[in-house]
Amino acid sequence: MMKKINYALLISILVLSFSACEDDDDDVLAPPIPNEEEVITTLRFILTPDSGGQVASFIFQDLDGDGGNIPVITFDTLNANTSYTASVQFLNELENPAEDITVEVKEEDLEHQVFYDTDLSGLTITYLDQDPNGNPLGVDTKAETTSPESGTLTITLRHEPNKDAPGVSNGDITNAGGETDIEVSFPIVVR
Amino acid sequence: MSDKRISFFVFLVLSIFQLNGQECHIQLKGVVQEKGATPLSYANIYIKELKSGVASEENGKYKFNNICPGNYHIVISHIGCESIEYYLSLQKDTTINFELEHHHQLLDEVSIEGIQSYSETQNVKQISLKKIAEMPNENLGNMLENISGVSTINNGNRISKPVVNGMYGNRLLILNNGIAQSGQQWGVDHSPEIDPLSAQSISVIKGVGALEFQGSNLGSVVLVESGKINNDPHLHGHARYFFESNGLSNGVNFQLEQGRESWGWKINTTLKKSGDQNTPDYFLTNTAYEEASASALLEKRWSEKFNSELYFSTFNTNLGILRGSQVGNLTDLQSAFEREEPFFTEDALSFEINPPRQEVNHHLLKLKSKWLLDENRFFDFVVAQQWNFRQEYDVRRSGRSDKPSLSLEQRTQFAEVKYHYFTSSNSKWKLGGQYQGTENINVPETGILPLIPNYISAKWGLFALWSKEYERLSLEGGLRYDFENRRVATISNTFPREVLNYDNNYHNYSFVVGGAYEFQREYHLNYNLGLTSRNPEVNELYSNGLHQGVSGIEEGNPNLVEEQSIKQTLSIEKHLGSKIHLELMTFYQYFQNYIFLNPQEEFRLTIRGAFPVFKYEQTQAEIYGFDLVSSMEFNERWSALLKYSFIQGNDLDNREPIVFLPSNNLRTELNYQIPLKGQWENLELQLNHQSVFEQTHINEDQDFVPPPETYHLIGFKASVARKLGKNKLNATLQINNLFNTVYRDYLNRQRYFADDIGRNITIALNYTF
Repeated sequence: MMKKINYALLISILVLSFSACEDDDDDVLAPPIPNEEEVITTLRFILTPDSGGQVASFIFQDLDGDGGNIPVITFDTLNANTSYTASVQFLNELENPAEDITVEVKEEDLEHQVFYDTDLSGLTITYLDQDPNGNPLGVDTKAETTSPESGTLTITLRHEPNKDAPGVSNGDITNAGGETDIEVSFPIVVR
Repeated sequence: MSDKRISFFVFLVLSIFQLNGQECHIQLKGVVQEKGATPLSYANIYIKELKSGVASEENGKYKFNNICPGNYHIVISHIGCESIEYYLSLQKDTTINFELEHHHQLLDEVSIEGIQSYSETQNVKQISLKKIAEMPNENLGNMLENISGVSTINNGNRISKPVVNGMYGNRLLILNNGIAQSGQQWGVDHSPEIDPLSAQSISVIKGVGALEFQGSNLGSVVLVESGKINNDPHLHGHARYFFESNGLSNGVNFQLEQGRESWGWKINTTLKKSGDQNTPDYFLTNTAYEEASASALLEKRWSEKFNSELYFSTFNTNLGILRGSQVGNLTDLQSAFEREEPFFTEDALSFEINPPRQEVNHHLLKLKSKWLLDENRFFDFVVAQQWNFRQEYDVRRSGRSDKPSLSLEQRTQFAEVKYHYFTSSNSKWKLGGQYQGTENINVPETGILPLIPNYISAKWGLFALWSKEYERLSLEGGLRYDFENRRVATISNTFPREVLNYDNNYHNYSFVVGGAYEFQREYHLNYNLGLTSRNPEVNELYSNGLHQGVSGIEEGNPNLVEEQSIKQTLSIEKHLGSKIHLELMTFYQYFQNYIFLNPQEEFRLTIRGAFPVFKYEQTQAEIYGFDLVSSMEFNERWSALLKYSFIQGNDLDNREPIVFLPSNNLRTELNYQIPLKGQWENLELQLNHQSVFEQTHINEDQDFVPPPETYHLIGFKASVARKLGKNKLNATLQINNLFNTVYRDYLNRQRYFADDIGRNITIALNYTF
């Protein structure tokens, strides 16, 4: 009888010994800090007047990613009746040196599109770049202003939008779908 | 081994008297009774080996004469009752009385004696093996929904978490073969990692707390039991197959078991595979899934006084989540909600599982031993180990979709000693202690800040339970104390990132008292009162950041304290004549420091746009409601069932409703059964209906979109059994959502994005041998 109980106890020990292949407590309580290579901290929208002159910069910067400290937004003014060549840049400044996410977006141009939406009646932004299917990507654009006014410009980066949906290739986001990777709004003044 | 060993699902065999007999002149006789002692006439008692049967007489008596000594399988069946099988080694004249469960209880849910060893006075409901076999396509949560007062919180149809009287996740204890299921229970999109087809019975204690279990337990408990092995030396088992039209899913389940005097074994394995499900109008793209589970039980009786069982189970699943439900921000959520059809909807069904998806593996190894000191005293020793692996994949940039966005490993060790003592004065004592150690690790290189921190927890508990039975009165009481030490490591979400360590101790005290009184036969009253508490979970304390799934920023609060609850339940069970059975269970639960996610006024700006902020806060709260079950038997053929559940919760400090409580719902069934002779038996037809009412007890600002409207679903079910030699085949045809109704359910998170599933025709076969 006792022998049998001992046998049972032996099995108990065997079961518990599974726990022997355990990590050290220290490993659990000192986790490695992940390499957040996918995070986008910064968006820069830079407009260069075609006729030369002052470059306009719109920058959204959230250096610690979502949560934590609040983002810093820098905005600028545009000149009326001016044509600009514009480009948008996405950065991950958690990395050192900062990683240019725009490269990834350009590599996967079929799966990305940047949208520009504004309530300024005189501001038009048109796409200058294309993916292999002839649909726009929206990193490089042309911006034209008319009369002085002020309002908002919203820049959206969508991942896996449906570029064939009605209006999407003309820059209308309504039917695009997909996930929003970036959506930032800037106050914008044309004078 | 004594009466305590009687398995939960096998019906009670009352008594065995042995008399003298001679070779091939053995007499077998006895009485067949309905549970509660009414004799059953025309019950069929059939001896498989002899291929001969008799019917019981008016007074329930039956008799076989001139049987040779030998081993026999005896099947006892009666119209309206679930047939039972009994194995017997017949050597002399023998008297056996059989007790059958009558049908009106089986229609729905049965209160079973065996389970009551957990509680003498609390409300226990069970899904029988027959029911389980009729719906092998369902997961644990969906199966449990058959019990009144149980709902599920879903993310699609595949991920479903049971909600019992409003408690779910960390507030509901789920026991897999007596071991508290330890997995990632903090999110609404994690379902319990248990294969219900490995179970012999699934029960719910809708009570105030079962104090013998360690684990967060604010009242109700779900028990999944694989049962005992029948003491039958022949190989027995079952093979099950199902097909579902919605999703074209197929599944098989296979069980084998064998029992000997000193040992027994049982194995069970399940495979399921499904394609995308569909609503009445479109496919739910990327809702395919596959699942593979297995379990093995080995019983060994070392001696008259000592026996052990070794149990192992493994559950593995890979399941897709509706592609259109992955959203980046509030704008996406809004446009998803405004669309008729989710984004990314494909025109054809696919079996492919792409991101967003979950891969979950859960393994349990348990060794339980029982040591009998004498007739009235015994010890239970349990050691167990659990492994939980969860990987969640999202659609990510630059080929990172193959890399999990969340990868967690949890290991739990458990040890328990329990002492049971039955006194001569009909009292029962149960004393015990438990230890549970948990280690939760984020597997690095997801490239994302973990939402759930790493932690190590050690929990010790002690309990004492007492119960006593008088003639008509049962009383019980219990005390429990738990101590937990939890060491946590979080990563800050400010820059530069750093590891923040926390070390917390928690003390929990619980007690329950309860009583059950039987006024007359079949008129019962149960009352229970319990004080329980729950420690704040790591997500409630330390989560900090964007919860993609819910489009909000969740902020934990490291200063949260234990949540305490006082719950009382009162249930009345009554038979009105022999035709109507009524059961009403009411409950009121009061919480101090109820932890909830409170939407804040502020929106927080991120590069993905502005997000609403939700903070974990504590408040005084109450949840109350009732479950009403009524069954009616019009005659031998017609019967009906009605179930209504009402629940409401209030945040008393903020004077607001509590979110995410089930909507009130009504279910009815109309059953017709045709007694069949010969090879066919128990043809049953059922028409059922379900109304889930709009959740009106919620404020507009508590959710992104208003709760869905009331919906009504009609269903149909037909089942029949056929004898095939010594074996039996049960076939069930079930049609859910017969009229292909378009609806959305409040507790289904997928409702923001898509309709619920349309008509589903299920064929289930169960071959028992």
